[in-house]
Amino acid sequence: MIKNITIAWLYPELMSTYGDHGNILALQRRLEWRDIETKIIPISAGDSSDLLKKADLIFMGGAQDRQQTIVSRDFMLGKAEVLKEKVEDNTPGLYICGAYQFLGKYYKEADGTIIEGLNILDIYTENPGVNSSRLIGNLAFKATFSSDESIIIGFENHGGRTYLGKDVAPLGKVMRGFGNNGRDGTEGAIYKNTFCSYSHGPILPKNPILTDHILSLSLEKKYGEKIELKRLDDTIENNARDLIASRLNIGV
Amino acid sequence: MKNSLIIAQGKAFSKLSKKINLGNGTTWPGHIALKLNASFIKEVLLHNPDLKIIYVIGTNGKTTTTSLIRHILEKSGKRVIQNISGANMLNGIASTILLNSSFSKKIAADYLLFEIDESSFPLACKEVKPDIIVALNLFRDQLDRYGEVNSIAIGWHKALSTLPGSTQLILNADDPQIAYLGKKSKLDELYFGVNEKSIKKSGIDHSSDSTFCPNCGEKLSYSKTFYSHLGIWECSNCQLVHPTHTMTAASHYPLTGLYNKYNTHAGVLTCQYLGIPKEEIDAALKTFSPSFGRQEKLSIEGKDVQIILAKNPAGFDQALLTVLDQNATDILIALNDNAADGTDISWIWDVDFEVLMGEKVSLTLSGTRATELALRLKYAGINSFEVETNIHQALAKAVKSTHSSLFILPTYTAMLEVRKVLTGKKIL
Repeated sequence: MIKNITIAWLYPELMSTYGDHGNILALQRRLEWRDIETKIIPISAGDSSDLLKKADLIFMGGAQDRQQTIVSRDFMLGKAEVLKEKVEDNTPGLYICGAYQFLGKYYKEADGTIIEGLNILDIYTENPGVNSSRLIGNLAFKATFSSDESIIIGFENHGGRTYLGKDVAPLGKVMRGFGNNGRDGTEGAIYKNTFCSYSHGPILPKNPILTDHILSLSLEKKYGEKIELKRLDDTIENNARDLIASRLNIGV
Repeated sequence: MKNSLIIAQGKAFSKLSKKINLGNGTTWPGHIALKLNASFIKEVLLHNPDLKIIYVIGTNGKTTTTSLIRHILEKSGKRVIQNISGANMLNGIASTILLNSSFSKKIAADYLLFEIDESSFPLACKEVKPDIIVALNLFRDQLDRYGEVNSIAIGWHKALSTLPGSTQLILNADDPQIAYLGKKSKLDELYFGVNEKSIKKSGIDHSSDSTFCPNCGEKLSYSKTFYSHLGIWECSNCQLVHPTHTMTAASHYPLTGLYNKYNTHAGVLTCQYLGIPKEEIDAALKTFSPSFGRQEKLSIEGKDVQIILAKNPAGFDQALLTVLDQNATDILIALNDNAADGTDISWIWDVDFEVLMGEKVSLTLSGTRATELALRLKYAGINSFEVETNIHQALAKAVKSTHSSLFILPTYTAMLEVRKVLTGKKIL
């Protein structure tokens, strides 16, 4: 039987910046290379929240402030509830930067204004003010989900500092760069099968270990059994990773 | 200190630094002048009331448009002074003014033509009130340096609101964010655009930034799309519409590619507004040659080589289409991630490299992030390419193996490296 995975891409036009398209490509190609059929459902503002219910995997990227306002309005028309159900029901998903902040309790802007989050994850984000600088640069962290603490390489660019509550675990331990807040050494978050990260780059193409981990979880959830993923030749992926790792003075 | 003294010192300093090869000699005199007298620029300009000041802003096409305006004006017998670019824009402006001033603070020119960085525009407006602003477009570019497109647009709106009513805007009607600058401000505006067939792209255009209404935030509807978010747009919610009276044709196009049509129209419209006769504009268009690295053509070891600067998704997509239109057989792409290129190169994932699929081209990938380009192409479904990080080596190989003409698509610092190699000594 040919297996298939349906990927819901939340707000591809509004929540897509810094090459987020690359994450969708990585998921899609790595399924196709294993002869698993892939369907991408772009879900835009105004679309029915039923589309989201069909997802075996969810992706949402970062955005600019103005776009986030439009998305926030649209979420309140039903999608927020469905997304919460999907997250609680262990549907795997990846949420980058702005999307990551969105899932939390609130975002405090530089001027002190509080923007309510979707309240799905036990996290909150604060921008420490106009005088504090954005956290920008290449980022490397040890993935907590992998038994051998594989290193994930990305690029971060965010003004908000995110702090994790007790119900969520970090996605990684920062080796180089800032991560969640530049203070506590954590980067990103994991809650059930939901993965969050500040890492652009985009994160998935350069880090097949994370891509394949999310794909495995999606297949396992959909088919109710562990499914061994066919090994792929990752030479080109590793070359791109190694370059940044060696610049950051770490071995991968 | 007296301004004439500052000018004298600055000129002497500039001569000296050129002589001993200090580098950066060009913006230092401005830096020092502003330190000695913060109002230096304003005060010198007061002595030159007839001088017209033109700012050219936008993500892509500034250099080409600025050079074109300069070329037309000079062919028409006008005296033009162009700015010296530098890391700090104001130092560049001050230096340009200083080095072109006599000791009596007179500038021997009819026009001061300034190409201004997106993020420096508000500050530049505060310091020097321009007579004409040419705004080309606003695309994603170097998010790590310039920030997000919307915050740039907000800064521009604020800057325009401080300018006197005599300021003339020359705006791209097809870019909603740019057209909205004119709709919102009280200044006079003229619009340029293009008259083309709509170009349908499959799927989502990943480099399209501003397809939402700049006034109310609703999704815009397009009756025609040209590239990225440029097209004939309207907002069904707040009734903001594409400007109707738009200049969309020139008698001759010195450079290929749709993006250069926009640049040509911007330049021509500006010169029309300045009263340059049509015959003179038409004649000047025929003698214009591009600035370095912008469709610059060279002959290397008997092969034709063309360099097309490509530094952000919108520009890159246009460069790819332009070379494919010319039936390219050999393409070298050079991606650097130095500060001047932007250290965040995730934008290459928004470039539509998929257009290369099925094309019979031999591809060489180079630059500091050649390995990331290889990764991008792999996920675009393209598996045949050479990777040679070293630009000199890559050029030598690519020129040697090229059958007829080689197209080079470099980022900014890669372009400088490419030119240095190609215009230098023998490369092979």
